[in-house]
Amino acid sequence: MWSDDQRRRMVVEHEVLQREGFDQFSVYYDKTCDSYWASGTASANSGNRYRLYIPMPSRYPYERPCMYITDPNPLRMFNGNPVTSLGVSHQMHTLTPHSNGWPQICHWRDARWHSGILLNKVFLKGLIWIEAYEQHLATGRSLSEFVLTMAERA
Amino acid sequence: MSTNDPQQQMIREAMKSIAERKPGRTKLVYDKTKRTIVAVAEGAQAPRALNITADDADMFAVVTLSSRWLREQWAQLKQDGQLSIAFNSWDDGDALTHCDLGTQAAPSVEPGIVFLENGVNPPNAVSLRIILTPTADAKPDATTVVAPDGSMHRAVCQRTVDGREELIDVFFADVQPELATRRAGILESTVLADKTVLCIGVGTGGAHVAIELAKCGVGRFILVDRDRLSVGNVVRHPGGISQVGRFKVNVVRDLIHEKNPAAEVSTCAVELSYENQDTISQLIKEADIVVCGTDNRPSKLLINQMCVEAGVVAVYGGAFRRAYGGQILRVRPKQSPCHQCFDSAMPDEASDVEVSASADADEIAYSDRPVAVEPGLSLDVLPIANMVAKLALLELLADKQTSLSILKQDFEAPWYLWLNRPEPGTEYAKWPPLSKSIDEMTIHRWYGIGLERDPECPTCGAFISTIADKYGLDLSSMTELPALPEKEI
Repeated sequence: MWSDDQRRRMVVEHEVLQREGFDQFSVYYDKTCDSYWASGTASANSGNRYRLYIPMPSRYPYERPCMYITDPNPLRMFNGNPVTSLGVSHQMHTLTPHSNGWPQICHWRDARWHSGILLNKVFLKGLIWIEAYEQHLATGRSLSEFVLTMAERA
Repeated sequence: MSTNDPQQQMIREAMKSIAERKPGRTKLVYDKTKRTIVAVAEGAQAPRALNITADDADMFAVVTLSSRWLREQWAQLKQDGQLSIAFNSWDDGDALTHCDLGTQAAPSVEPGIVFLENGVNPPNAVSLRIILTPTADAKPDATTVVAPDGSMHRAVCQRTVDGREELIDVFFADVQPELATRRAGILESTVLADKTVLCIGVGTGGAHVAIELAKCGVGRFILVDRDRLSVGNVVRHPGGISQVGRFKVNVVRDLIHEKNPAAEVSTCAVELSYENQDTISQLIKEADIVVCGTDNRPSKLLINQMCVEAGVVAVYGGAFRRAYGGQILRVRPKQSPCHQCFDSAMPDEASDVEVSASADADEIAYSDRPVAVEPGLSLDVLPIANMVAKLALLELLADKQTSLSILKQDFEAPWYLWLNRPEPGTEYAKWPPLSKSIDEMTIHRWYGIGLERDPECPTCGAFISTIADKYGLDLSSMTELPALPEKEI
């Protein structure tokens, strides 16, 4: 059950996304199961499109939300293997994959997450990850060579 | 202590004759200046020194009996003339300690019987026989007990060893008054008896804090920790190798009772997690203060959220990696910065934590970049735990006037920093040596640091309304989110 504070936060998060240049993303609410998620399609500089999906955990914003790439599915690496085959990987900056086979992008680790981080920053890290991923596809070099371990303040 | 040393046998006989109060022409007196026992004989010009030292005087066994227990059982003793009793037998019977006095069990337990002296020799079917004798003119001390009817008694213990009778001194322990005596002048005996401390995380630091507060006389503890004591913990944790496998909350409960038998201790062996948030929240509401001994940031932020909501003061202690130092944050909700304010203002400091267990390492590691478990020395964790205990104590005494009230202005800062060593690779690496510094910051000194609350803090401030104001959003008119998209993700 979501608290009033949480629901207000979802409204504000959505408005911040729209007004900070992240209007390809939205926060959604499903009344039938009283659940929230944020999602949208990101376009890389190459023109390739990636769908990002963030199911909101019931303790949000105190609990870190997971961010998945749901399309393309499966998301493949330079060598053709699915990104999810690496599991929690520093090389690809990924965390535990979704049970549906979607890779989870590492934006903040649990140990660094706090409730002051807004979703627009999470999506920003998703966009950075996608650009680095495309460089990985182009060069075969690991994604960690293009993005440093993500700092606290993005 | 059993011994066949002829000298000690001779001393034993001499002391026994004194204990049995056999009158004689010679008295034995301990001369403190010479650290020896001298024989003072009637008519002699000078005392004759015997070859007996204070060490020899300690060679006789001692029986310690709870006077509180005896008073509680007095009516039964008067009615039946005797009481069954059990003693923890330590060091091959050298110390016989009434089991009622503490929770820790000796390798063996020796049964005994307490008798009221009635002129008849007690039966020697039981090897330990304690005979209480009324004494009218004695000064109350550790060798006497005052019964509920006001009568004073001494006791002697008869023990049968290898068919031979011996007498053992009996001392009475009046635990609570004697413990309070050692705190008198600093803390009144009952000033903390009605206080409740919730310790979340009773590892090395948290356990030490709990035990120190028990020594101060805190009356109630709630202990929360899901972990069991492992062999590796023993080099740091107050629990010993014989406790391995037990839940830490139970180990610490027993250690608290060893220091403060009157303390009420409840335990909760659950994980600190969102799933258990309701349980923990309820415990926080019962507490006067929360001591956070967990060593990862998510758990601290969760506790912070619940404590701020409940308006309960919390003290967060933590060691840096390999315990090269540590820091403490004391949070007075809505008055001083909360842990979220601290994390937002000092993210690097907030993230420098000790990795003392594999679970903590997994938490921050990638599978292709493991993080080593590198706990610090207990020696380096305890200064931080001591300071946490001191800060918690001062908070508990905030509304009382004690000798420690003078410290309030010394501990006004919310954040405290301690360095055990100038760790390479940190901003403290260039600190001057302790032996050469006069004015500069050095290791092994506490620094209280001022920090302001974040008025836009998402936990204790107006985070949402500040953002809404920034974007000109009227939250009161925004009740609906955008419609759901037609296509499900």
